[in-house]
Amino acid sequence: MPEFDLAFSASLTEETGHFKLLELPTEICALVENSLTPLRFSVKGQSSEDAVLCTPDDKTYTIRSVVLSNNILVVTSDPENDAAVVVRDQLTEILELTPTLPKLEKLTALLRGRDLDDVADNADGEPEPGISYEDAKSLIQASDGELASTLRKRRILDIRGKLRPIAPSYLTTILETILNHIVAQGLKPEAVPASELSATLADENEISVAVSMQVMTWFGNLNDGVWVLDVPAVHEPLTREELLRRWKLAVGDTFEASVALDLLSGNYLETASTGLFSADTLTYFPSSALPVEPASRFADLFLTRQRWRAEDISPFLSDIALNNKERDKLLLKYTRTTTDSGGQVYYTKR
Amino acid sequence: MIVPISFNSPSTSAAATSYPLPPTLARISHAEVVLVELQGALEIHSAKPSERDGKLVGRLGIDDAGKTATLRIGHHLLEGKVVQLAKPLAVLQRVLDGHKEDNMDVDGGEEQPAPSETQTTTGWDAIALIKRKIVFSKRPTPIVGRPA
Repeated sequence: MPEFDLAFSASLTEETGHFKLLELPTEICALVENSLTPLRFSVKGQSSEDAVLCTPDDKTYTIRSVVLSNNILVVTSDPENDAAVVVRDQLTEILELTPTLPKLEKLTALLRGRDLDDVADNADGEPEPGISYEDAKSLIQASDGELASTLRKRRILDIRGKLRPIAPSYLTTILETILNHIVAQGLKPEAVPASELSATLADENEISVAVSMQVMTWFGNLNDGVWVLDVPAVHEPLTREELLRRWKLAVGDTFEASVALDLLSGNYLETASTGLFSADTLTYFPSSALPVEPASRFADLFLTRQRWRAEDISPFLSDIALNNKERDKLLLKYTRTTTDSGGQVYYTKR
Repeated sequence: MIVPISFNSPSTSAAATSYPLPPTLARISHAEVVLVELQGALEIHSAKPSERDGKLVGRLGIDDAGKTATLRIGHHLLEGKVVQLAKPLAVLQRVLDGHKEDNMDVDGGEEQPAPSETQTTTGWDAIALIKRKIVFSKRPTPIVGRPA
């Protein structure tokens, strides 16, 4: 049996705390093993927050330190002696990773009052206060991919290096103007010359090029100056219209066919017909405006409505639960479930 | 704040800085690092912590098949075995400003090494991915009639 001298490393004291063990979930391990190029993960968080680990693409994990009752020695070879090995560090904890949702709610607070509307769009020049994309990257506990897609989803513009959410009314105006231009000039929605369109918008409608170009990327693909309009996407921000009729009117004849209520999931509440209204009515009720804490979110939801059907409540939980299993756990914890004679499941306050 | 953690970074694979383990140990999981788990800790009585630096702990033995291991410390013998980890572990090593600057530039690109005092942590490097370790889970048995 080969034997080796095991000794403390000569730099043991100096290197105390220089080693850590990180437990890798299967997917990260596969990512690391299959990649030949350097990968850069980042640990993000302020001193008051729990640290998270962000992958180079689009995943976020919470980091938890687990104390072991056993000691783990990190042993490497001894540079001076081939037959000996040295203890580099003695560790009593490992870091565990659990997948989590990115903590994006801070973004709302950071960007409060920074809305960009048509008045602000025309005020050029002066340096802007507020936070930049780089600031957001270090302040928000989310991976780069998740942050970028959130900025897109929440309609946040990057104007002269600062993040500005676009005012909903202004976005509606821009979209209506764009759609009108497309129809008026007989352009094909699959191939819109982007720079010409934004130049026209700047000249005729005083919508700055920076704004219109970014709006176009939100609602389609911009390749080599040709904008491919993603027709269903255009309808998404118009949710504040209370009725589909007005919505169809707003988008015009060409796009009327692609108007569908599914696109508004998580943004409206449907109220069954009552004596006062003969038809079902829709109210604007965005899930993004609800609290992030599960307890307060359920409190809010049950304030709005006493009794929820399963399919009605799930869109309002999708952004706080990682998957269906998590969602069911929340429902189990915070609601009482009843099933009526027709097999319809209802959730009520616990 | 952001603390970068680099995997497969060029500095860890560079041949100049690597010292491979003896082949029987390298076979356990990784060419340069092996993890040894002890039930309990190595306690050293010394006036100051740095006194133990470079001192011999014992003899680590491993059988040719790479399945069982022994650790002899003085008159005590520990028997252990090589086990598979439930989840792989990455061994992270602190990267200090100063002596690894060149490597940081290669994998960072936009990384700007802030001119600060030496010995500032700039991040962590994953130096190894470990899937198996040596565990000594039993009590030590005394060795009689043999010089330590």
